Amino acid sequence: MPLGTLDRRPPPFFHQGPSALTRLAVFSAVALFLMAADTRFAVTRPLRAGLAMLLLPLERVLEIPMQLTHASGEYVGGLHQAQADLAKAQLALTAQSARAARVDTLLAENTRLRALVDLKPALAVKSQAAEVLYEASDPFSRKVFIDRGASAGVVPGAPVIDEAGVLGQVTRVYPLSSEVTLLIDKEAAIPVLNTRTHQRSAAFGADGEAMELRFMAGNADVKVGDVLQTSGVDGIYPPGLDVAKVVKVDPRADSSFARIALVPTASADGVRHVLVLEPMAMQLPARPAPEPEPVLPKGQKAIKGTKK
Amino acid sequence: MPRGADQLLLPVNPLFLWLSLFAALLFNMMPLGRIAAMPDLLALVLVFWNVHQPRRVGIGAAFFFGLLMDVHQGAVLGQHAQAYTLLSYLAITMHRRLLWFSLAEQALQILPVFIVAHAVSLVVRLLSSGSFPGWTMLLAPLLEALLWPVVSWVLLAPQRRAPDRDENRPL
Repeated sequence: MPLGTLDRRPPPFFHQGPSALTRLAVFSAVALFLMAADTRFAVTRPLRAGLAMLLLPLERVLEIPMQLTHASGEYVGGLHQAQADLAKAQLALTAQSARAARVDTLLAENTRLRALVDLKPALAVKSQAAEVLYEASDPFSRKVFIDRGASAGVVPGAPVIDEAGVLGQVTRVYPLSSEVTLLIDKEAAIPVLNTRTHQRSAAFGADGEAMELRFMAGNADVKVGDVLQTSGVDGIYPPGLDVAKVVKVDPRADSSFARIALVPTASADGVRHVLVLEPMAMQLPARPAPEPEPVLPKGQKAIKGTKK
Repeated sequence: MPRGADQLLLPVNPLFLWLSLFAALLFNMMPLGRIAAMPDLLALVLVFWNVHQPRRVGIGAAFFFGLLMDVHQGAVLGQHAQAYTLLSYLAITMHRRLLWFSLAEQALQILPVFIVAHAVSLVVRLLSSGSFPGWTMLLAPLLEALLWPVVSWVLLAPQRRAPDRDENRPL
């Protein structure tokens, strides 16, 4: 056996660098600083964007085996699935065609009526299609990543919808991808309007694939089966998009608020294509600048309502 | 040279070492969906190299891989980094003792390390308002410890090759 085949260099006695405990302390401090900086300040954004750009090619490559397994599964059971899907789609189309035929008439009528009472025309929402890259495997949160980023004009806060309703909101934008927090994430919140009672409230993400309607009085008029839509008062979501349906109302005796469980209309699992909308606030005219305070000589008080 | 005493190992190939870490990172990034009990292969491989080659793979490398995982999962920056740093520290402190034991006993001793790392990330996430992922997450450290003998066998295989190969021992 030739010499040097075994790893028998003696460990260095003096050049060992800082001890493991020191390194633990240093790196833990850096990690804690990063956590604080990431949640409170915006200083870590370039670091995160850089690392995301570094990881993006890997993510795109890792998509391929998943797509292949998916495609092979579809190849085997494809025909039956396709026929079932077709039948379902035709049923849905029939159900929608009557409504769709009326939409044009209603739209024209609405425009006329709005012009009659001198309302501003309703805002048209700009949208762009995006593909879901992957779902975050983090078991603590509900996020998906889409393949459109700042270079495609996605802005933080933009609503994301699929064909069934609101899916979530863009929370972080990288140059070529962005992160969408789903409505069922615990940190998500969305203002909603009950379509039956026209009562506005706020829905929040809850544990376990669900949402809840918070801050509703125990005797509030909410029934199982009520459909909640976006209210449009938030300056982000356009009004009238389906959000969730009420599945359980529990007027608790020990609290003044009811516990109302919702199930989101858009299913978070298996979603492939989404639509990223522009936040409504970007289309609204900018707020007028506040009038400058009149400069008064010292000792003189401003009196409200007086005119020169 | 405390290696379970029966076999002398060849020196590690640094390329293989870093490639194995990269492969583990790729495995962690596979879009397999959200499974709370999914074993963190990257953590396992990091601990393995921290135990076997503490002078090549240290706490700094663990921290960097943690940052990558944070960005990939869209988590708070530093959460995985913190867990991996702690994991790496615990592995380095026990690396002289651990290698005297058999693989099964090593797995038993490495289990508390993984439990601590998962507990740290659970506490950090619940403090930063994450939702509780369910009790199946208790399985993750257990699976990681069970995978320890497998990973040890695979990752040490290149160092177990014959130093002078002939046609009877081609590998």
